[in-house]
Amino acid sequence: MKAWRLSLLLSIIALASTAHARQVAVIADTNNTVISVTSAELVKIFSGHTRSWPDGKPIKIILRDPSSADMELAARKLFNMTGDQARAFVRAHSDMITIADSDDAVIRFVGTTRGAIGLVDLYSLTKGVNVLKVDGKLPVEQGYFLRGN
Amino acid sequence: MATPFRRNFCFAAICLLLPAIAAAGENSQTGTLPITTKSRQVRQLLDEAWRLNLDEVKQAEAIEVLHKAVKVDPNFAFGHLLLSQCSLDPAEQVREQQKAFATRAHASSGERLVIDWFQNAADHKLIPAITDMNEVLSRYPHDRWVVFLANWWLTQQTQYERAVAVFERSGITDSPGLMNNTAYTYAYMRRFDRAFALMEKYVAALPKDPNPQDSYAEILRMAGHYDQAIHHYQAALAIDPQFYSSQFGIADTYSLMGDQNRARQEYQSGFKKFASLPELHRVQWQTREATTFVREEDYASADRALQAIADRAHAQAMSQVEADTYRQMAIYQPDGKQGLHLLDKAETALRQGQNAMPFAIQQEMAQVLRARVEAALKSENKKMAAATLARLATVSRNSDDKVIESAYHGAAGAALFADHKYNEAMSHLEEDINNPLSLQLLAAAYQKVGYGTEAKRVSETLANLNDPSLEQAVVVPGFRKCYQDPNCGSAFKNAALKK
Repeated sequence: MKAWRLSLLLSIIALASTAHARQVAVIADTNNTVISVTSAELVKIFSGHTRSWPDGKPIKIILRDPSSADMELAARKLFNMTGDQARAFVRAHSDMITIADSDDAVIRFVGTTRGAIGLVDLYSLTKGVNVLKVDGKLPVEQGYFLRGN
Repeated sequence: MATPFRRNFCFAAICLLLPAIAAAGENSQTGTLPITTKSRQVRQLLDEAWRLNLDEVKQAEAIEVLHKAVKVDPNFAFGHLLLSQCSLDPAEQVREQQKAFATRAHASSGERLVIDWFQNAADHKLIPAITDMNEVLSRYPHDRWVVFLANWWLTQQTQYERAVAVFERSGITDSPGLMNNTAYTYAYMRRFDRAFALMEKYVAALPKDPNPQDSYAEILRMAGHYDQAIHHYQAALAIDPQFYSSQFGIADTYSLMGDQNRARQEYQSGFKKFASLPELHRVQWQTREATTFVREEDYASADRALQAIADRAHAQAMSQVEADTYRQMAIYQPDGKQGLHLLDKAETALRQGQNAMPFAIQQEMAQVLRARVEAALKSENKKMAAATLARLATVSRNSDDKVIESAYHGAAGAALFADHKYNEAMSHLEEDINNPLSLQLLAAAYQKVGYGTEAKRVSETLANLNDPSLEQAVVVPGFRKCYQDPNCGSAFKNAALKK
């Protein structure tokens, strides 16, 4: 028996067998005054077509390895790219995109770099960064853009 | 791009909220969560509560110890928080959560973060809850209470990989309680090799304690090793004949094996031997006993047994228990209209809202609405299904609760499937993969659109689901039977049953 509070939804089954839906959060440094972006704006930012924030600060992009599950989801949702295409894209834009080896590293970089923007799993979030709404929604809201399997 | 309003912070007010009593050092450097109490006795009681609740899983005794601790020090905020999480009494869960929040000014900053984390979670504020949890984890990654609470909460959130990572990174290798919890998390991930390895260590660490044998049995059962499971349950009872969980574990296992008469004998033997079970445990195993009739498709007997549970819950003002019981009755009704009638009763009970956390009432309401959509579809009342789905969508939009969200996606998936919109149904059903009803539809939807590999994977998951729940009883035996019958029109013939 596991030490567990019976939450009283007695019939809910803990079962992890197939992939769970992920929510990828878009984060920015806490000095950034932007709180919301559209998915179209995100596409422009991550493809390098938008290179500065409205206040003129240059945008610095930091992401996880494109083969990570979160990044595959983001590449699919933002650019309709496969994992291989996303890896090729990142290689071709290495001057513009910094790759970090963990969500913690992404958060540290974004939290300490003015103008930085990154993508992390919802459950990696810390107080050191701001979470941007995408199309008016936070990652926990129904219909959030960067959500899926 | 939208920009925020600048906020004015009342610094003076924040200062006034700082704890009047300095905590016993903010030990973030040592990795230990500072526990704030002036009483040495309370610290000893807290250690005892850990041993009883985590290592030995004697929850009722652990709760008594925590009662003592908060009696000795009524301002022991962390004690109230633990009690709110461990209690088997819904009314007490509510009271203690409120007390934890009310007394948080007496706590260390680390304890306050833990209290805020669970308060935010209870208030459906998921992002603040996550950031609070990660802050606590970054400060105290090796503290056993923090590791336990994070492992537990993340598992509830179905963040299994993260939950095991918290344990693995903690460096704690000698805590039987944490081995136990993490083994369960591995089992939910169906990584039974890891789960069994931890169970071997847990059994070796506490050879005279029944719980390791009981846990091992349950995980073996989840893997489909029924005979071995019964052997371990019996070993637990040999160590401690009063360890009632193992008695009911044997009953649950016989039920899953298909021997419903033997299962009922074992349940009855348990109720006779253990007359003073905690109320929620009694409800759980009475529901399981009623489920034996569902497995036999003897719905009249199942109705009688579950109605008795609902009546008792009503008499004891346990609104969520009553509602959940009616909801479960609705699930197996062959007649959708009868199901809808039972769901009316569930909603009536929920409106009473007695002795349950507000978030639990909301979760249950979402589950009831989901069942209503399914019952409406069963009775071919698409208008009602659509209206109920719209209601559930509104509830879900205004919440960030996983249970509520899953209920919405399950209902939306069922409605779209009924409309033959399989691609759209899939994207919803994929968000509710903890429910056998959704898994069954998901496998069928994959098959319909030609995703053979996905259909096989989901079918295997379903075919190998060994959980004594009512949903499992409604879906899995029929699914397996169809799988084994060459004349059945099942599209899932490739699913492999693991024995």
